[in-house]
Amino acid sequence: MIEVSNISKQVTTTEGTLTILDGINLSLAAGESLAIVGPSGSGKSTLLGILAGLDLPSSGSVSLNGQDITAMDEEGRAAVRAKTVGFVFQSFHLLPGLTALENVALPLELQGDKEALKTAAYYLQRVGLDHRTTHYPRQLSGGEQQRVAVARAFACRPVILFADEPTGNLDTGTGEKINDLLFDLNKEEGTTLVLVTHEHNLAERCGQRLVIAAGQQVADVTDVTDVTRGSVA
Amino acid sequence: MQALRMLLRTWRGGQLNLIIWSLVLAVAVVTSVSLLAERIERALTAQSSSFLAADLVIRSSKPIDPQWIAGALEQQVESAQVLTFASMVYHQDDMHLASIKAVEASYPLRGLLRRTTTPFTTDPSLIEEIDYGPAQGEVWVDARLLPLLNIELGDEIELGEIRLKATQIVVEEPDSGGSFGAFGARVLMNYGDIEAAGIIIPGSRVTYRYLMAEGASGTDGFANYSDWVEEQLDIHDRLITPDEAQASIADTMDKGRRFLLLAGSIGVVLAGIALALASHHFAAGQTRQVALLKSWGIAASRVRSLYLQQSLWLGVGGSAIGLLVGFAFSEILIAVVREWLPISLPMAGIRPWITGLATGLLCLAGFTLPAIWHLPAQSPLAVLRDDVQVEPVSSVARGLLGIAAVAALLFWYSNNLYLSLAILAGFGLTALATVVLGLLMLRLGKNTGQKLGSIWRLASSNLWRRKSQSIIQMVGFSGAIALLMIMSVVRTSLIDEWRWQLADDAPNHFLLNVAPYELEGVRDLVTDQNLETAGWYSMVRGRLTQINGEGISDEQRDKHESFRRELNLSWTTELPEGNKLTAGKWWDELDLSGDIAPVSLEDELAGELGLKIGDELTFSVGGLVFQARVASTRSLNWDNMTPNFYFLFPEGLLENYPRTNMTSLYIPPQQKLLVNDLLRQYPTVQVIELDKIIDRIRSIVSQVTSGLEVMTLLILSCGVLVMFAAVSLSMSERLQESAILRTLGSSRRLILGIQWVEFSVLGLMAGLLAAIGAEAAVAMLQRFMFDLPFSWHPWLWLVGPVAGGLLVGVLGVGYSRKAVTQPPLQVLNSL
Ligand SMILES: Nc1ncnc2c1ncn2[C@@H]1O[C@H](COP(=O)(O)OP(=O)(O)OP(=O)(O)O)[C@@H](O)[C@H]1O
Ligand SMILES: [Mg+2]
Repeated sequence: MIEVSNISKQVTTTEGTLTILDGINLSLAAGESLAIVGPSGSGKSTLLGILAGLDLPSSGSVSLNGQDITAMDEEGRAAVRAKTVGFVFQSFHLLPGLTALENVALPLELQGDKEALKTAAYYLQRVGLDHRTTHYPRQLSGGEQQRVAVARAFACRPVILFADEPTGNLDTGTGEKINDLLFDLNKEEGTTLVLVTHEHNLAERCGQRLVIAAGQQVADVTDVTDVTRGSVA
Repeated sequence: MQALRMLLRTWRGGQLNLIIWSLVLAVAVVTSVSLLAERIERALTAQSSSFLAADLVIRSSKPIDPQWIAGALEQQVESAQVLTFASMVYHQDDMHLASIKAVEASYPLRGLLRRTTTPFTTDPSLIEEIDYGPAQGEVWVDARLLPLLNIELGDEIELGEIRLKATQIVVEEPDSGGSFGAFGARVLMNYGDIEAAGIIIPGSRVTYRYLMAEGASGTDGFANYSDWVEEQLDIHDRLITPDEAQASIADTMDKGRRFLLLAGSIGVVLAGIALALASHHFAAGQTRQVALLKSWGIAASRVRSLYLQQSLWLGVGGSAIGLLVGFAFSEILIAVVREWLPISLPMAGIRPWITGLATGLLCLAGFTLPAIWHLPAQSPLAVLRDDVQVEPVSSVARGLLGIAAVAALLFWYSNNLYLSLAILAGFGLTALATVVLGLLMLRLGKNTGQKLGSIWRLASSNLWRRKSQSIIQMVGFSGAIALLMIMSVVRTSLIDEWRWQLADDAPNHFLLNVAPYELEGVRDLVTDQNLETAGWYSMVRGRLTQINGEGISDEQRDKHESFRRELNLSWTTELPEGNKLTAGKWWDELDLSGDIAPVSLEDELAGELGLKIGDELTFSVGGLVFQARVASTRSLNWDNMTPNFYFLFPEGLLENYPRTNMTSLYIPPQQKLLVNDLLRQYPTVQVIELDKIIDRIRSIVSQVTSGLEVMTLLILSCGVLVMFAAVSLSMSERLQESAILRTLGSSRRLILGIQWVEFSVLGLMAGLLAAIGAEAAVAMLQRFMFDLPFSWHPWLWLVGPVAGGLLVGVLGVGYSRKAVTQPPLQVLNSL
């Protein structure tokens, strides 16, 4: 489902060239789940962006669902994203002017789905928010907002779901519930799941773990907690 | 459809309010002003037509071409012929050189004649208003002809070969217009009697008038016909338009119209700025949404089309609301000025609506599109990283686009280059000054602020930290203030200029042809009534017979009346009040003892007669001939209603010729009977009654003034909108900062104090900078558009900063009060 071969990422800053990622390889089968872990600033979000086709690596290639997205133009990657990819973000990214239901329905509407509102209502019910459909994001708690975001991500029936620290802004209890939701839906919908996390528990629940430190893939690390504390780096 | 749905949701979320308001206001201002202007225009034409007794008149020294009359019949245009000339009328032993007017049955084509059978009456119930002239065999005469010929109504008078029966007194002709030319009593007769009277022989001095008015063939038919006639005019003919017929009203109206145009243009620019600021703000709020859309795989082209469609819907929707609001507004304005407009104002044509709609779309294209143009290029990566921002279209490019849009709008809307340039220059200078000097001022403020208390220190470094935003806001503030200043300066000087017309005791009667032996008696009559004259002026009637030693040619005679008839020559030592020398020298700089006397001419007449400084003129007064050299030309002030003379000589030259006297004076309505007493006792005195016309002017001027006030209010609200837009530009950032300060336990005083200082300092600087642009634009406008003298406006430099500081400060603090009245978390959540 996801094939990554030897990608690296450099950016030029005022202080010179900065290598954010270097020599990352990875392979993930359909329906599997992957946790990307590592200390803050190690390049997790950058990697996720490249995997999802939001950004290009400086070298190496990424293929999603059998298509080499690094060889495509922006338009092509957008088409792949539209068909295959869904997102959940640390800071939710709900549109403040839209109700919960409209937020979930928006990507479907943009795809021209006539049943958008119905599907959206169904997924809101799946995340347990069927009584809050007409509420605006500001009227919802952080956990509720993230549940709306999860519903939005699954409503498009993505083949791969990318989540960047989906519970990073939430307390442990609430985060736990969101995680359960992610894995439940992942199982039920057969989605491939890639998530970035700091959390030991969450990483443990994934079938596969990619640990990076300072942009490098760290091989044999079993105790994820050590890594997130930065002891390896 | 998706675009519309997105737009409606954004609107519901409140993010579109500013854009929509700006758009609606821009369209509404333009629509209402154009609607009003067009409808007033039509009403005005109707008004002025009544002063002409027609829609258009040709005055000629030769008989009217029969083809024109045939053409008028054929093309269903109304027409009438009118002849005027001086001729002796007799009754037994008495005679009088009357001023005869022969009219066809269709006269007057516009306006009404007023007649009575009670001589010298002022009782309106005895006066009849009709739209036809005397039948053949009858004459209607001036009341003073009765004592002059010793007759009563019903008696017959002799005119040439025929006798005509005086059946009515003419009280007022629509097209008399206070003419100073004719001294004889009016005798109105039927055109059909002219031939039988046998008084018009080749060489007679007759003025032919051909009156034309729109008939069954409508506006276009009339325009076709009048164009056709106009092509055939030669030097004997002169076309008279309604505007010329009543110069003083036309002038007031014209300036009123220009002011409406100015105000409307300023409204457009203001609404444009508001729209630009609002769009900027809107675009900033949309970047995250665009990043999200793109992360979902929506292609850039689709994003662009979504936003273009939204803009289009916005433009159409906003313009439609704007058109309605504009219509409502023009109705309100019309209700205000109803009194002097005919009850059934003709509906305006389609043009104002098109103008309004075009304004909306052009504003959108010039201000909103450039602001959102970069959105599709937004990287989807922004959903993961905050610092991934696409550069918006550079502010220089956007500025230029905005200016281009404004310039196009201004020019198309006003059709007036000077006006457009002045407004652009005023605004451009202000913006430039703001960008250049604004940074300097912010810098200076920061350095001084560091030495002051904590509020000042925080505020001034905030302003400096946000300097690019501060400058944009300042451009908005100073632009709005400058434009409002321009408008109020012009408004004030116009109203000042019109004040005389609103003065209660401006002279409303002229007394002419008072013989020296009558002067004492007339003076006494006036003093007995406790009335004051504008002073008595003596004049001598003489002809111009030669220019530089050559006689007046027939051609010249045909070309201008002044070569044909007697001129009023007067003398004075001082340059009369209200007169201005436009060329040459006044007496005090001349050697008056030379062999040839100097003469000073009115400059327009000098131009029409082709006379220059240094020309030698020969005058003949009652057969006695003398010469004079043109020493100067003067412009006259017709507004003050005091006697004016085209030809002025120094003292000591004309005193010995037979002279008459004239004056002007104010006669209040309750003392109006004085006119009758005067005419009964001194029938040869000519009284020109301007009281009705002055009343009409006054009511028009006061209505126009209140119309302007309403307009001013509308434009003011545009200005406040701009300020509001500029204030809200930085609001979410400020509220966030305030909320954080609040969480840290800062006092209400500190938080509001910072906002107050920041905004009032911005407003103060903006007001100062605005004065620069306003002064420049006003100078241009006064010079080129309103014919007003240039003057400095020191108050601008004072009021600008003070009002700017207060207004912007109050708006800013009002807006940010939320930060201290609501719990900080609520504030943060609502952002
Ligand atoms: N475009 C860029 N320009 C400069 N530096 C960049 C850019 N993109 C990423 N970086 C840097 O690369 C490093 C990795 O960033 P990234 O956001 O991937 O880290 P992360 O592992 O997601 O950290 P966190 O756990 O804090 O979210 C950081 O030091 C970041 O500042
Ligand atoms: Mg990250």
